[in-house]
Amino acid sequence: MRHYIKVELLRMLRNKRYVIFVVAFPVGFYLLYSNLWGSDSDQATGLRGSVLLMVSMAAYGALAAAMMSTAVPWSQERHSGWLRQLQITPLPGRAIILTKLISSLLLVLPSLLLVGLAAVLTQHVSLSPVRWVELILVMWAGTIPFAALGLAIGSLLPPDTAQPVAMIGMFGLALLGGLWFPESIMPAAMKSIAHVTPSYDYARIGWRIAAGETPHAADAAGILAWGVALVALALVAYRRATVRA
Amino acid sequence: MNAIAFTDVTKRYGDVLAVDGLDLEVPAGATVALLGPNGAGKSTSINMLLGLLRPSSGEIRVFGEPPETAVANGEIGAMLQEGALIPELTVAETVDFVRRLYPRPLPLEEILRLADLTELARRRADRLSGGQTQRVRFALAIAGGPRLLLLDEPTAAMDVESRRTFWDNMRAYAARGRTILFATHYLEEADENADRVVVIARGRVVADGTAAEIKAGVAGQAVSFLLGEQPVAGLDALPGTTGVELQGGRVTLRTIDLDATVAALYRKTTLDIRDLQLHGADLEDAFLALTKEA
Repeated sequence: MRHYIKVELLRMLRNKRYVIFVVAFPVGFYLLYSNLWGSDSDQATGLRGSVLLMVSMAAYGALAAAMMSTAVPWSQERHSGWLRQLQITPLPGRAIILTKLISSLLLVLPSLLLVGLAAVLTQHVSLSPVRWVELILVMWAGTIPFAALGLAIGSLLPPDTAQPVAMIGMFGLALLGGLWFPESIMPAAMKSIAHVTPSYDYARIGWRIAAGETPHAADAAGILAWGVALVALALVAYRRATVRA
Repeated sequence: MNAIAFTDVTKRYGDVLAVDGLDLEVPAGATVALLGPNGAGKSTSINMLLGLLRPSSGEIRVFGEPPETAVANGEIGAMLQEGALIPELTVAETVDFVRRLYPRPLPLEEILRLADLTELARRRADRLSGGQTQRVRFALAIAGGPRLLLLDEPTAAMDVESRRTFWDNMRAYAARGRTILFATHYLEEADENADRVVVIARGRVVADGTAAEIKAGVAGQAVSFLLGEQPVAGLDALPGTTGVELQGGRVTLRTIDLDATVAALYRKTTLDIRDLQLHGADLEDAFLALTKEA
């Protein structure tokens, strides 16, 4: 299975779409936005713009990586016959979905780390080592619900539908989570939807940690509930997709 | 020991009976062609052998074990009808990945050589032609060194040249005492590459034997000649004869043994035989006769 994970990572790093959306986008936008608003101070969180944007763009990159590395590739593998190719080898079925999940989590790391690096190098963002570790670990673990959502989409939909659904889901969650613009300027209806999304909880936890505060219990509970629900959905969808008639 | 054993296997999809009481045994080491028209149940049977489909009733054993166990133990390799590769991986990476999933794989170089892929080893899968992709899929099927190799219409997308090379490669693999079952609707392929041909139609075995036996077993052969005013009586008793037709003074004897019928016609009758014509059966006739709707 270790070799399988290696192969999965290798192929995604060679995939242009992954590299553009997941590595180039968040870093590029971080550089752009932090130049514009890096020294502003955010009223809601009390964070400097350069730190707030670092968390936002890292969160966007992580969310995008978790969904891009799962939904469409997995859907394509199911439909192209690659899944069958694996099913007739001694590889156990549960190893396939486990590998997908682990690989997806590993593929989240480049965007988290590169946005952080860009923040340190260009905006001289400095956090204590403990807080860096805390921030990265929490933001890393927080992508599990999104990877699970991507796998569920890949299991339930054919590739031509999975592609737009994953894209809309990814940008929708990023927007509603307040990763592209603050939740405070959203219209009321949008705001109430935003509050129940996992990406909103995810971003708020990140900002609180960056500000040196303990995350709100409600946010932690929110993303945990989403995590449990989406992992369960991913497992059910996987079983449904690989059931032997 | 039997590599494959189907015992009264039925597979039903809703109202459709894809496989209908199939009984088939293939001893280890044999190369067997599963010959039949589209929809005969070939792919369904192969997918059941791989545990991808479960029979509605009956029992399937691969080397004495249920298909799922045989697959988990790395006993089976297969080339299914559809199967794309991972576009971002090279040929060598793909083959090496799959071979590592098996407990007793062949060495990578040997697999590439057996599938004629040594020169393409570093090419990415999305830059392969259709025929080259088929070769990679063959390589994946043999990567684990399986004792049983299943090929479902393996040459469907190949040109004549690649087809010939493919069968040469298949025979090289079979020569090591491995069991091979391939599905095809090309008669020549069955005739040339298998030591036994199992003809299936509508989910049942309708003929089973060497290509020669199958040809002989079908009343597709005939001898005809001008009988004129001579009596027709007794012709149906000639060896091999299965039917006598008289039309406008010409009689046609259908036979399962052309040589014996003709010999007896001259030796055992006193008829004055004119304008004798022989109609031999080829495998095509045999196949059509066997698989046509009852």
